[in-house]
Amino acid sequence: MLSVRGLNTFYGQAHILSDLELEVARGEVVVLLGRNGAGKSTTLKSVIGLVRPVCGEIRFHGRSIRGLPPYAVSRLGIGYVPEERRIFTELTVMENLEVGRRPARPGAPGWTVDRIFALFPNLGEMRWRGAAMMSGGEQQMLAVARTLMGNPALLLLDEPSEGLAPLIVSRMAQMVRELKSEGLTVVLAEQNLRFAALVGDRAYVIEKGRIRHSGTMTQLAADEPSWAAYLAV
Amino acid sequence: MGNPALSFVAIELLTGLATAAVLFLVSCGLSLIFGVTRIVNFAHGSFYMLGAYIAYSLVSRAGGPVGFWGGLLLASAAVGLIGVAMEVFVLRRLYGGPELFPLLATFGVVLVVEDAVLAIWGPQDLLGPRAPGLKGAIEVFGHRFPSYELFLIALGVGVAGGLWLLVHRTRWGTLVRAATQDWEMVGALGVRQATLFTGVFFVGAFLAGLGGAVQLPLEAADHQMDLSIIIEAFVVVVVGGMGSIAGAFLASVIIGELQTFGILVFPKLTLVLIFVVMAVVLVIRPQGLLGRPQPEAGMNRAVEVGTGAGFQVPAVLLYTLCALVLAVPLVSGNYGRVVLTEVATLSLFAASLYFMMGPGGLVSFGHAAYFGLGAYGVALLVAKLGWGMAAALAAAGVLAGVGALVFGWFCVRLSGVYFAMLTLAFAQMVWAAAVQWDALTGGDNGVLGVWPAPWAGNKLVFCYLALGLCGGCVALLRRVLRAPFGYTLRAGRDSALRCDAIGIDVRRHQWLAFSLAGLFAGISGGLYALSKGGVFPTVMSVSRSIDAIVMVLLGGLETMAGSPVGAAVFTGLREQIGSLTDYWRAVVGAIIIALVIAFPRGIVGFIGARAARLAQGGR
Repeated sequence: MLSVRGLNTFYGQAHILSDLELEVARGEVVVLLGRNGAGKSTTLKSVIGLVRPVCGEIRFHGRSIRGLPPYAVSRLGIGYVPEERRIFTELTVMENLEVGRRPARPGAPGWTVDRIFALFPNLGEMRWRGAAMMSGGEQQMLAVARTLMGNPALLLLDEPSEGLAPLIVSRMAQMVRELKSEGLTVVLAEQNLRFAALVGDRAYVIEKGRIRHSGTMTQLAADEPSWAAYLAV
Repeated sequence: MGNPALSFVAIELLTGLATAAVLFLVSCGLSLIFGVTRIVNFAHGSFYMLGAYIAYSLVSRAGGPVGFWGGLLLASAAVGLIGVAMEVFVLRRLYGGPELFPLLATFGVVLVVEDAVLAIWGPQDLLGPRAPGLKGAIEVFGHRFPSYELFLIALGVGVAGGLWLLVHRTRWGTLVRAATQDWEMVGALGVRQATLFTGVFFVGAFLAGLGGAVQLPLEAADHQMDLSIIIEAFVVVVVGGMGSIAGAFLASVIIGELQTFGILVFPKLTLVLIFVVMAVVLVIRPQGLLGRPQPEAGMNRAVEVGTGAGFQVPAVLLYTLCALVLAVPLVSGNYGRVVLTEVATLSLFAASLYFMMGPGGLVSFGHAAYFGLGAYGVALLVAKLGWGMAAALAAAGVLAGVGALVFGWFCVRLSGVYFAMLTLAFAQMVWAAAVQWDALTGGDNGVLGVWPAPWAGNKLVFCYLALGLCGGCVALLRRVLRAPFGYTLRAGRDSALRCDAIGIDVRRHQWLAFSLAGLFAGISGGLYALSKGGVFPTVMSVSRSIDAIVMVLLGGLETMAGSPVGAAVFTGLREQIGSLTDYWRAVVGAIIIALVIAFPRGIVGFIGARAARLAQGGR
């Protein structure tokens, strides 16, 4: 579904991603594991088009999407939830969902406000509340909900567990599994190994902008010593 | 209401509201455009002017109520489409680049529109017909009040309400508010920003055009209306809070009433008054009355085009160029010497702005104030007090420097657009003083008889004097930028937060840079006055401040050597085009737009980048 080959991305002179390769099949939950600054966020931003890779290939359903502006990538069916959540704090919950709303898409789960509130019941209880008045966990849910309103086929989730209480983190994990059962494909950037193990089918270990290791979650768990150093602080 | 004094006040309040209504029509669009696109749209005044002129043509051709009201609406729609054209053909190419460039491009549009209006409608003022059905007056509190002005008040309130519904009750409005906060995220959610921006420009330009059109039965359309309204609208937007429509409404009422009552109470101070209000608001509540604090100041980031790093002009080239310039007065006639003198003074003026704008990241819209302080300082000292030239020039530098020290203390407390607007406010105050304080400054007649000392009276000698003095000052500024002070200044521009954390007082460095820039602008202004033999308030008009920004950007922000080149190119262009056509403004405007689109790094930056590429093996 998503195929990334030889991706190189720079911020100014700094080389962030080097010859990055990824393969994501339909219906999978793929985890990008790595420390802060390893290049996980940049990988997701390169896919959605918020940063421009210098060279390489990004294909979605076989179609090259490198260099497309974010709105065009989004309209092809890729949803992006940024690490900083970037909720519209001046808007209410309902208005945030409205900004994300796009027409239904064949081959991808269709979302309505009612279905969103069934998935996130506490968002439904505060639908007229200003987003500035929400807790971090609620904002994270709203960020995911807002992106779902665009009916994506592929969801890019950037560290959804970051800075959240353990209870909320396990709710996030449950949410990811539910989204998977809906038929959504998910790419997840994460440094929390336990969270990754809860939700992931496969994982790539990234360090200094390169893929150092990859495999199914069970394979990775089996030969942990060979890659754990890349995650250690 | 029996009390005549009270009913008089009530009538004046209504008059003020009518003024406020038109002001609101113009400024709400300006605020909306800024909120969503982060563009300070100088051309908004031009939209207003076009609205008035186009409405004049339509209304005077078609008579009757349908012709009149239909004409006003049609004119507004036409202006809306002109706004769309500007967004699609000019501004869209500049998104994602430095934020100053769209602003400059809109200033280019201002120049083009001024000449277009001159060419189409001629130089005379045009007064439109009075509104059918609203020609009379209505009895209010025992006074007769024009019913058309009541209509304007109702229109202002109606537009405010309609705009509120549009922004708060439609999907388009929701997207606009979301984009105001984070347009990049809106794009990542699948919304095409370009379409949204085009729509915002249509609405903004439509309302500005409507403002100009409905003004027609009250005041004649003239050629100054674009700049006069844009300055007032800037004040309204800044006082109300950038991007806040409710703020624009509140501030329009405040400024409208202030103007109406200001004329009654302080007839000499009307111009100064609104800028004092703006300065006070900016200092007490920098984000404006109803604005929200901006986490990142737009314009600081806007000018970082690898400033100061990388490209250096080779020394050999620099010295050769200097030698060539020094040889010019020997071979050129007096005309060439006069032009070269002007280039020299403006080079110093531009370099002094570069000093704060490039490495300091402080984009001033009011640098002409210090140029003007120097010019008036020299003029008054020489012509009225009989001082010697050298002493007067030194005193002018000090005067401008002190002025910058005082104004700068306030300005450096703000950043980005708000900084720029406060510098503009101070510059307009100084300008207003020069216009209205005629006992000292001679008002619009200026100060004449400002000549250099007899030994420098010869054009050739004065030209060398200007070249030497300006060259020396530019070299001095350049030296300061390479001292630790210059590095600290850059560090403060690139990350004020980190500088704070390692114990650097960023604000103090910026204040000092502001003052130094003012001092050198003062010297250049003094020289300018001496070279022209007199001064007029135009030496510190808004357009001179903009000229300086254009010169700096023409040269590029990467190196100080760019500013004199920019000054030379700008002056040369104006002289050349001025001798060929009456419409030099339009040509200069078109050139500004073309340059901003084609050479975003300035002339010298462009040459530098090319040279670097060639050196790397001609990729």
